[in-house]
Amino acid sequence: MKIETQDSGSTKVVVLSGDVDLGHSPALRKTLMELMFEQRNVVVDLSAVTYIDSSGIAGLVEAYQMSRRNGTRFTLAAIADPVRRVLQLARLDRVFSIVETVADAVK
Amino acid sequence: MPTSIDTDPPASHLDLIVEMTGGFAQSHDVEATLRLGLERITEQVGAEAASLFLIDEETGELVCRACLGPANVQGLRLGPGTGIIGRTVDTDKPQLVRDTRRDPDFTNAIDAATGFVTRSVLCAPMSVRGRKLGAIELFNKRSGQPFTLTDSRLLQALAASSALALINARLVAGLAEQEALKREVALAAEIQRAMLPPPQPPHSPIHGINLPARGVSGDFYEILPLADGRIAFAIGDVSGKGMNASLLMTKTASLFRCLAKREEGPGRVLVAIDSELQETGLAGMFVTMVAGVLEPRTGRVVLANAGHEPPLLWRQGHFTPIEEGMPPLGIAPEVFADGCPESVIDLDGGTLYLFTDGLTEARTADGGMLGADGARSLLDTFAAMPADERLQAVASSLDGVGSLRDDVTVLAVEDIRLAASGAFERRFPARAESLSRIRAAIGKVTRELGCSEDEARDVVLAVDEACQNIIRHAYRGGIGDVIVHVRREEDRLVIRLMDFAPPVDVSKIHPRSLDELRPGGLGTHIMRSVMDQVQFLPPPTGIGNLLQMVKRIGGP
Repeated sequence: MKIETQDSGSTKVVVLSGDVDLGHSPALRKTLMELMFEQRNVVVDLSAVTYIDSSGIAGLVEAYQMSRRNGTRFTLAAIADPVRRVLQLARLDRVFSIVETVADAVK
Repeated sequence: MPTSIDTDPPASHLDLIVEMTGGFAQSHDVEATLRLGLERITEQVGAEAASLFLIDEETGELVCRACLGPANVQGLRLGPGTGIIGRTVDTDKPQLVRDTRRDPDFTNAIDAATGFVTRSVLCAPMSVRGRKLGAIELFNKRSGQPFTLTDSRLLQALAASSALALINARLVAGLAEQEALKREVALAAEIQRAMLPPPQPPHSPIHGINLPARGVSGDFYEILPLADGRIAFAIGDVSGKGMNASLLMTKTASLFRCLAKREEGPGRVLVAIDSELQETGLAGMFVTMVAGVLEPRTGRVVLANAGHEPPLLWRQGHFTPIEEGMPPLGIAPEVFADGCPESVIDLDGGTLYLFTDGLTEARTADGGMLGADGARSLLDTFAAMPADERLQAVASSLDGVGSLRDDVTVLAVEDIRLAASGAFERRFPARAESLSRIRAAIGKVTRELGCSEDEARDVVLAVDEACQNIIRHAYRGGIGDVIVHVRREEDRLVIRLMDFAPPVDVSKIHPRSLDELRPGGLGTHIMRSVMDQVQFLPPPTGIGNLLQMVKRIGGP
């Protein structure tokens, strides 16, 4: 897994790629939590994710919950198929704010 | 003149005795100490010259190892019984000769050769409990007087303690030599075992184990992947024990590694090894050996046997010995003149076992030998385990029984094609770092077993989540392994995950309620969503938890 962060105006874009599994989800969680403490609006670009499991999803859920408390925006963008499958299984596809492209989220 | 001078040694004599015996006890170079001692005695007694002779144990001659005075006789050799010193050694008693002219044993040959004039001699034997080592001889008191009884007692005391020091030093040197030899043997054994192949990865079709008896071994085995995907292997046993057998074993193993890559087929490899061994000459030693090549893609094995125990083919609980073979290697050049026949075996989902006679000759609990039947039933007992585990289990059940008389070496050659065995089983360390390898393996296997892409993706997810639970909740961050077993039973894919952690309280594992939005607890829900059945089964002995997941596949 690789994590890259980019600024897009006031929004932070987190670009994830590769396999997000138990070995890597702690790093994802740490990145997201730091951004939440900074009260940033965050878009997670999931287009290059090849695999995600419940531990990776858990990091997204936790960030989503904090953003709601903070009143910031937390958006998932460009969801790759493996991510969509797991979100569907967990029925979280109805919970997250999901957009087609990163551009949709930051405009 | 008061007689007390002769009977009570002066205090300085006692000091000398104490000083010198202390010196002997501490010294590592006992001959250097003896020479120093000789100087002190000479000085103390006031002699003009002195020499120390030790017996050459091979010839019985007396050899001068140290001397003081005007004539240098170091290295001088005297025949047994020669002169006053010879008499001293023979009688094992000190000799006090006040006037050499009156002693029949005195030989003036040395005086004649050196120009020294010997008037008076004092000589004391160096011996311990009748074991004669040599003697110390003093010549002429500087005062011109003859030696006295006091001088004699002093010299006798010093000569006796010198003898004791010398014996001790020789014993210590002997022990050190034995220790060095022992270390050499241990080192040779270590080098030899380092030459055995390292443990193979769990999915390798060939696994080997060597259970060393004490000392240097004559057993060896080799597992050697060839460039075209085939795997060459060999097992062998060198006749005899000790260093020579060990060197021959090392040589044969090296020859195999070199020739297996060059010669086509195990028969030709054995012929080539035999011819190399004939050239060097083995002095009555010989080598029994099986060489083979496995083609993992087809499960086909080609074997050649030179005088070794017939390999056993195990298939569905039955053993078939592969009897065809030749005499051992290294017997005579003409034995392999017409080549070496090969057997072709299709494993067909079975396992080929090769072993040395250490296995069949291993002791059982009742003191008898394991024998061929015992070896078969032992291999069959652990048939359900993965091959590497199975060999370990066989080894530890032998090791537990008692001391091995001989090395035990066993090689298992398996058909790992799924089509043949219908099942996949592999062991992984239960760590987050293993998950990507587990996913890759499960993805491959499920597709091979007929899952669609979507089914394979879901099964991979379920297995990953189940492994996560094992890592996080069963081992709780501790160290352990997980065995992943996948097989197809008609339209059902059956997956079993086995760990070695303490049993998990199943009642505490709930699929999470999805209305309750919180991280964690999601994995079990995912597993239940994608699989048709997820349940913990009573684990077999030795297994901590056994989780079974079943999914119907190939449906509409």
